Amino acid sequence: MAREIALVTGASSGIGDALARRLARDGLHLGLVARRADRLEALAAELRAAHRIEVHVLPSDLTKPGAVAALVDDVVARGLDVDWLVNNAGFGTVGLFHAMPVERELEEITLNVEVLVELTGRLLPPMVRRGRGVVMNIASVGAYLPSPHMATYTATKAFVLSFSEAIAVELQDTGVRVLCVCPGVTRTEFQDRANVETGHVPDMLQQTAEDVADEAVRAVGHGAVVVNGLLNRATLGLLKFVPHALVTRIAGRLVRPREA
Amino acid sequence: MADPVTLVTGASSGIGEALARRLARERHDLVLTARRADRLEALAHELEAAHGIKTHVVTADLSRPGAPTELVQQIEARGLAVHWLVNNAGFGTGGRFDELPVEGEVQEIRLNVTAPVELTGRLLPGMMARGRGVVMNLSSTAGFGPMPFSATYGATKAFLLSFSEALAVEVAGSGVHIVCVCPGFTRTEFQQKANIDTSALPDFAWMSAETVADQAVRAANRSGVLVNGTMNSLTTVFMRLAPRSLVARMVAATMRGGA
Repeated sequence: MAREIALVTGASSGIGDALARRLARDGLHLGLVARRADRLEALAAELRAAHRIEVHVLPSDLTKPGAVAALVDDVVARGLDVDWLVNNAGFGTVGLFHAMPVERELEEITLNVEVLVELTGRLLPPMVRRGRGVVMNIASVGAYLPSPHMATYTATKAFVLSFSEAIAVELQDTGVRVLCVCPGVTRTEFQDRANVETGHVPDMLQQTAEDVADEAVRAVGHGAVVVNGLLNRATLGLLKFVPHALVTRIAGRLVRPREA
Repeated sequence: MADPVTLVTGASSGIGEALARRLARERHDLVLTARRADRLEALAHELEAAHGIKTHVVTADLSRPGAPTELVQQIEARGLAVHWLVNNAGFGTGGRFDELPVEGEVQEIRLNVTAPVELTGRLLPGMMARGRGVVMNLSSTAGFGPMPFSATYGATKAFLLSFSEALAVEVAGSGVHIVCVCPGFTRTEFQQKANIDTSALPDFAWMSAETVADQAVRAANRSGVLVNGTMNSLTTVFMRLAPRSLVARMVAATMRGGA
């Protein structure tokens, strides 16, 4: 019988790293995907030693054409079944859309949207045949809040939310569970890389990657979506009743590029 | 000085064709794009004769990586400047996601999401520099909530809605308008191609492509989200306020009801 693993994309840092650690604690065998092989190897060695699990290091730049199919082939060749698919890899760009390089925006769509859908499309049918599995997609509270200065990013997350909610209904009688995770502001490398200023976001609204990962894993099987943090949930609940155009203008004031 | 034109993608049928006709009546010179050259040529000749406008036909499969940028280069090479961009090209797939060929889903994302973003990214800077212009994105009422049994399609439309709303705020005050058009069920070739059976839907749920196009063009004098029709407007208000899990189940029942 094939070895079952949890496949985590973007596992080399942030929420992906935290999710890999959290799943390792539960005793799941892992497949770790990211571009940086050295960081994945270090994490794998640590998790193997600490939890006596099998960890497969699968370095890949998923934005390259054909990379998803190659990754799935690699997983199959190793005799692995993916029982948990954690679609975490993604990045955000910050700035006025018309002033940013188009190529980078397209790469963002490739990674945040296209790769997620392709990987899900390739790994879901075997899960449905086995009658169990988990697809965890990492979106963002931005999925609910179109954000000027992050127009492409929040749109990719709106995609992930809508897509996840839809397939969760489609798969409800198959034994496969779908969860869309919507973290708010989380302390990771993400903000640095996206060059986004979050200093003005109150501390009480910020979570650690560990909190997000723990909440996400425990939420599997309890609804299609988890918004991380009580305050984020409350905020989104209230914003439903504020005109959407006004919310978008407010989001544009909160999300802004870091001053040079 | 480059001649101003309006670029309509997916202009060979449906709402795209209706938009091209409606804009020709407003005397816009047009660049018509789609895969089917014969249909575009016929439409172009008809509109030139009827309205005395100039038309340019450029065939392109915008789902092919790099095609949107090549299209912009061809337009610029003809000495034209796009003042109106109508991102209309798109298609939908129907069925349970895990049973659909993944290649088709990826192609759907490239046409419905990547191509509009790429075209907008290439053409918006010029509009901003000129201090006027319109980017019209064709989303759908499906953009307001999840769409089981058309999961990818609904998600691509949610993307366009979110993207347009954010962009509208970014360009506020620039003279450029970002208009997101959200039709509901519209009588076109779309449903047949998407393999969606809509026979269970009542007549009053439907609009014509001409009505959608007319409302869209009228709405382009400012940025905003246009939901076509009173029924559809009420539906989207409900979709935004109701629990999304309930919306998902209701949409699923509608989609399955037709099957």
